[in-house]
Amino acid sequence: MVAEPAQDQSVQELEDKQEWWWVAEKKRSKRLDYLRKSVWKKGALGGNYAPGIKLDLECATLFTDMWKFWKYDPIMMRRAKAIAHVLDNKTIFITDHSQLVGYFGSLPNTIMWRVDGASMVNEEAYNEPGIMPEPENESLQKVAELNDYWAGQTAVDKVARILDPEDAVKFLSGAIGWGAPSSAYGYSGKDYEYLFAGRRGFEDIIEEINAAVENAEDKTVGVPGPEILDIYDRLQNWDAMILVLEAGIRHARRYARLARTMAENMETDEKRREELLKIAETCERVPARAPRNLQESLQYDHFIQIFARTEAHEGAWPARPDYYHGPYYDKDVNVDKTLTKEEALDLVGEFMIRAYEVGGFAPRWAREGLQGITGTWVWTLGGVNKDGSDACNDLTVAFLQAARLVRVSNPTFGFRWHPKVKDEVLRECFECIRHGLGYPSMRNDPLLIQNAMHWHGHPLEEARTWVHQACMSPCPTTKHGVQPMRMASATANCAKMVEYALHNGYDHVVGMQMGPETGDAAKFHDFEELFQAWVKQMEWLTSLLVRTVNLGRYKDPEFFGRPFLSGMSERSVESGLDVVSPVGDRGNCWVTAFTWVENIDSLAAVKKLVFDDKKYTMEQLLSALKANWDGYEEMRLDFVNNAPKWGNDDDYVDDIMLRCLRETARHSRVMKCPSGNSWPILPENVSGNIHYASIVGALPNGRRCGDALYDGGISPGPGLDKKGPSAVLKSCGKIDHVSDGRAFLLNQRLSPTQLAGEKGYQLWKAYIRTWADLGLDHVQFNMVSDETLRAAQKDPEKYSEVIVRVAGYSAHFVDISRKTQDNIIQRTVQGI
Amino acid sequence: MSTCAECRSFFLREDEPGQGDCVRRVVDPRQAFYQSKPVREDNDASGCESFQKK
Repeated sequence: MVAEPAQDQSVQELEDKQEWWWVAEKKRSKRLDYLRKSVWKKGALGGNYAPGIKLDLECATLFTDMWKFWKYDPIMMRRAKAIAHVLDNKTIFITDHSQLVGYFGSLPNTIMWRVDGASMVNEEAYNEPGIMPEPENESLQKVAELNDYWAGQTAVDKVARILDPEDAVKFLSGAIGWGAPSSAYGYSGKDYEYLFAGRRGFEDIIEEINAAVENAEDKTVGVPGPEILDIYDRLQNWDAMILVLEAGIRHARRYARLARTMAENMETDEKRREELLKIAETCERVPARAPRNLQESLQYDHFIQIFARTEAHEGAWPARPDYYHGPYYDKDVNVDKTLTKEEALDLVGEFMIRAYEVGGFAPRWAREGLQGITGTWVWTLGGVNKDGSDACNDLTVAFLQAARLVRVSNPTFGFRWHPKVKDEVLRECFECIRHGLGYPSMRNDPLLIQNAMHWHGHPLEEARTWVHQACMSPCPTTKHGVQPMRMASATANCAKMVEYALHNGYDHVVGMQMGPETGDAAKFHDFEELFQAWVKQMEWLTSLLVRTVNLGRYKDPEFFGRPFLSGMSERSVESGLDVVSPVGDRGNCWVTAFTWVENIDSLAAVKKLVFDDKKYTMEQLLSALKANWDGYEEMRLDFVNNAPKWGNDDDYVDDIMLRCLRETARHSRVMKCPSGNSWPILPENVSGNIHYASIVGALPNGRRCGDALYDGGISPGPGLDKKGPSAVLKSCGKIDHVSDGRAFLLNQRLSPTQLAGEKGYQLWKAYIRTWADLGLDHVQFNMVSDETLRAAQKDPEKYSEVIVRVAGYSAHFVDISRKTQDNIIQRTVQGI
Repeated sequence: MSTCAECRSFFLREDEPGQGDCVRRVVDPRQAFYQSKPVREDNDASGCESFQKK
């Protein structure tokens, strides 16, 4: 339950105490207050679902029933019919006071279950305590029946069968990475240029598909030849797209009917009746036809996201709401004046709440890796237009203001900073950070546009449309640039690279030979031998993960199929190909590099204390590591305190960072995705640093197995950046943020006391200028004091609304594990 | 035998003969809402706990 603010305290008093969560409650409208408090939080608390959260059996059953019935259909058509059956028959609801509708489960407290995704996940669902709807025995029996049916024929099961057996065992060991080689899980970009800039509704798309079908059918009755043979498959795909788009239109009209029924038969309040009739009108209009106003535009976008999530488990939410909905805000608020700013703010706040409530069932490793949230909904704000001019608008400001009122931990924002951003917009970003939201993260727009062109060859105008594909990676929203599948499933637990280099490829934690045998490290004579072993382990680890994901994508149209997402893609509507097919897609892959900096600090420590100073031998070090530093505490502290550490502007260790990155970037260009493009790395962690704590063995940076790993990206180890914020920025600025990798996450903690008032804003603004001048692509801030965080640990109910930045996402502090909480408190508070 | 058509929660669809929506008010521990589920008018409602005769 949410504790109530002290009624006798004024907003000013609460602001002075920096209790921003109570300020928000006092400032937001009654509607937003009700809607915000009505959300069933789906993010796992640590790793467990909150009481009252239940598995959605209705949608899983409806889907499976129709899937069984159409067993002779091609996979796209079969999935389209199953999805249509869900959309036509699932329970829908309209929450009191809401103006936007649509949820992918059947009730507000349910988590969607992707029953056709992976048997391993299905088994976890069966065994997860507390989430079975009542009566529990009946639910368990139903889940068992569904699991029996899907065993062996889910998307991941099919991929696993054709993987190299050794690759499969190592991939599935959980030691070297995570992810699923299928579009059943992951995340897809949306072709917003086609849908929103192109002002298309589903009926417009169906019309275009019909024209393509007519053209193709003419060919199938023409001159025989090999070139017409694949048209038959495309015709099936087009039919599947139409079928599911029509189901989407019908689904929206179910909401329209419900809203009208409520207005005409149940609602006595005249104002609410009008709102319900407006909902009805909105859902009769969208998604069938293009939106005409802000409410329709937001509702259209939300429907698209809900339908995509009905089709696949989407773990991210690539979006750029201010850019694509901004013209409607301008029309309604500034031109037609049909909405006041306050009314628009209510809609925007609710739009965020509708996303916040979305959550699907995830396996435990994913819940531990994304504590407190159900996916990384990082929405993109700001940036530039296709012509390079400033794209910020009044809706940018409205989103930043609404965020401070609704204070959700998901979605969060990534702000595309560029030199032309107006001061009034930058101030709004700062206010969100000052209010402790942990977002927006700041992204260096000119640099990331260049990066998108460098790695994937996106043309300038298209690169300028980029959105966060998940936490960090920029991806265009265009016909050939949009990314239809999570090609970051190659998520690497990079600390294993140095661990395996030290142990000849053997993993002492899981007890098996994982990496290649790169030699007995006890016999290495110099640092170069160790470094070359590290290079080989890096090449092996990234290649194995990439091979697996490449195969998953190549086979996905055969093993899974995405008719709805295809209908959202200009490329697919034109070609009749499943959108996941790499044909015509430039590729936008990256290897998410978890636990990266451990490599740098570990290699630097060995170089310094073993090979340069000769204070210890490799035998001594390896003995200490095998003993998990137990009995070697004095030596361990030497490795912690007296070896150079990343983030202190020390070339000794910073040069090792550059060598590691450049070796990896070289290999990134060797590895190719199915579109023929490169696989650059992207160091970041989500909360994988906690998940992998007991999976990564002892390391030469002084870390013991079981200790939390660093918080990720290129962030220095907590408490190890001792020379202030400028030194951190200077270390990070030595990296080439265009050619060394895809993006580089940097966490920083700032003092809320130091950054109070106008002076605080000016200090922060100067910091951002330095950050940009040094050529960093990302930075994000925690600005909540130790005092508040410790108080929240002691009295979680009172501080239930305190938000922190974990990694590429934010979470409510009380929803993350104690270990993650401590890890955040340990981060250095930088005085700027 | 009671049918859905006889229930106060049943609302016939104008565009689909025989088909309707079961619309009910629900108050859960966090929010109040109206829910809707498609039903046929001749469905057997004798086992339905929410049945309320019109």
